[in-house]
Amino acid sequence: MTDPGLLVLVVALPLVAALISLVCSARLQIALALVFQVGTFGVALALIARILVVGRIDAFAHWLYLDSLSAVVMLVAAVVSVLATFYSAGYLRHELQHRVIKTDELRKYFVLFHLFVFAMLLVTIAGNLGLLWTAISATTLASAPLVDFYGSHEPLEAAWKYIVLTVAGSLLALLGLLLLYQSGVASLGNSYDFSIPVLAGAASHLSPTLASTAFLLILVGFGTKAGLAPMHTWLPDAHSQAPSPICAMLSGAELNCAMLGIFRVYTLTAPAAGAATLRTGMLVFGLVSMSVAVVFLISQRNFKRLLAYSSVEQMGLISVGVGLGNPVALIGALLLVVTHGFTKCLMFFATGNLVLRFRSTTIPEIRGVVRAMPWTAVLLIGGALAIAGAPPFGVFISEFSIIAGAFAGHFWVLGALVAALLLLGFIPLVAPFHRMTFSNADTGGEVAQAELSAVTLLPALVLLGAVLVIGVWIPNPLNQLLHHAAAVMTR
Amino acid sequence: MALAEAVLATLILIATFGLLIARQVRGAITGYAAQSILLGGLAIAMFAGSRLPHLLALGLLTIGIKGFAIPAVVRFQVRGPTYRRREIAYYVGFPTALLVGAGLSLVGLVAASRLPFHPYLLSEPVLGLAIAVILLGLFTTMARRDAVLQLAGLLAAENGVLLVGLVVSPELGLLIEFALVLDVVIGVAVMGFLIARMHETVASTDTSELSRLRG
Repeated sequence: MTDPGLLVLVVALPLVAALISLVCSARLQIALALVFQVGTFGVALALIARILVVGRIDAFAHWLYLDSLSAVVMLVAAVVSVLATFYSAGYLRHELQHRVIKTDELRKYFVLFHLFVFAMLLVTIAGNLGLLWTAISATTLASAPLVDFYGSHEPLEAAWKYIVLTVAGSLLALLGLLLLYQSGVASLGNSYDFSIPVLAGAASHLSPTLASTAFLLILVGFGTKAGLAPMHTWLPDAHSQAPSPICAMLSGAELNCAMLGIFRVYTLTAPAAGAATLRTGMLVFGLVSMSVAVVFLISQRNFKRLLAYSSVEQMGLISVGVGLGNPVALIGALLLVVTHGFTKCLMFFATGNLVLRFRSTTIPEIRGVVRAMPWTAVLLIGGALAIAGAPPFGVFISEFSIIAGAFAGHFWVLGALVAALLLLGFIPLVAPFHRMTFSNADTGGEVAQAELSAVTLLPALVLLGAVLVIGVWIPNPLNQLLHHAAAVMTR
Repeated sequence: MALAEAVLATLILIATFGLLIARQVRGAITGYAAQSILLGGLAIAMFAGSRLPHLLALGLLTIGIKGFAIPAVVRFQVRGPTYRRREIAYYVGFPTALLVGAGLSLVGLVAASRLPFHPYLLSEPVLGLAIAVILLGLFTTMARRDAVLQLAGLLAAENGVLLVGLVVSPELGLLIEFALVLDVVIGVAVMGFLIARMHETVASTDTSELSRLRG
């Protein structure tokens, strides 16, 4: 198949899956989802392999466009989506057996799930900036009803806050895109193709004032969606109320899609607006996000909200990495996109097992996990250490690169501040999972029994293995992809 | 023609003010419908001057979908007591809202005057009015407690973005309009679904009833 054909196929498969899900029997939903999502994952891998060879694919008059930068986000979205499909199979079967949901609700879940995957992958292949905005907005519209999937008071509150704040952010981002268009009118004429390759070709001739204003609006607008503080307030609510596989997709993949929007506009506006100006904005939002997140990590009693605030911290760190701008920090930030995506997904799968077993997300209510669920305990402790940035996991390498980048660029105070914030967040992230796992507890009755099914463990074990491997030795294709992506951002 | 367009853009801002201070859901929906019809009218007026066919399509699409279809759907979804209810609790009182709204309009006009803008079919003051409409719409969403009024604020801000699109480039305006129509139609469906769920769950569309999630 041709490269443009692959681009179409990678979004067509989840879209077709959503349409078939709409009409097929509830009992076939899981099998259908597995077939289509594995297929989508295969096509995504084929595209990423092609990008390593050809550098970029530009198709259909720039409407579709994939390069190393978007391939990094595609890799995370594809891996998280396919593993979330497998995990959903085990998770939803358990919910059905315990009559928490009805069989009919599987249809609603999977139709929205496929549309959510479709929207995220469309973000990664959008070449036209209007299409990019539409796709990022579509991720909200597909996932908001999934946040409200359990249909009680709190999920509804979370879904409403999520949609109102992120739609408001999207409107600001669109205003930014319109100003970006206007910034190119002087060099490209009143009517031009509003696409990444065309704007990249004229990047140094854009109006500096309009380009920097556009970037600021897009940083705030897409930053709202990416969970950057102080616009992050929807994130802990949405990520704590959605079903666990959806939390994994929201935190592990969707935040990166919004970040890709910011990265794209950064690369397009930096030559005209001045990279230093834009980097200052990234650094300020990044440091504010990390600081706010650390405060809330310390006082957290709900483990899903704890993970959500960890996402705010990590998105802040990615922003700092891009803000530093040198190759070491940039590669660290891009590696963090991958390692945070994988690790956070792993943690939502592991804590999803706790939710299924203990029916609680409150830290003090859960004890003795190591005896009740030994494999889940391994995942929890391994994942908590990984997400907190302990060696030898991938997040550690990413964070180390960003701090090394700060020192290499002579940002001594900034590097020390980032290291201090990460250290401050370490214990609040690890200690609750240690307590829930190893503290003695009255583990009588059902809780004392064995693990959940293998299908709720295997996806998380795969991810734990992946973040461990990346921490010890970054596979050559991934390393190559990250270097090419960093080159796209510094071009 | 420039005068007609300036008058229509000013009326769009006035309709947004009407939405900001509407005391009933009914009034806010009517304010949004009026704002959308005026926006469609502006696009058609621009078509009359430029003969760009996109603008006619955009104008008709805006009037049909936003001026009539979406208000009708929202009216249907919130029919009954909610539709007629007079809102007595809000985050920002009406005199304050008017003052803040006036301030935001000024901010929009000043911000537009500072941008190096290349006039195409519409003049720079229209860009200022459009930014003011966006700010007023977003402020309405923050100032009101009722979910339907918050939705109306977002929709009004979205019309402001489309107006910016018309100022920046009518050709791009059409692309943005298709993206926005898709976004708005699906967004209204999703938010309408959540508003209906609010009715079931807390027997109200007052979002202050939804305040259990903290920390």
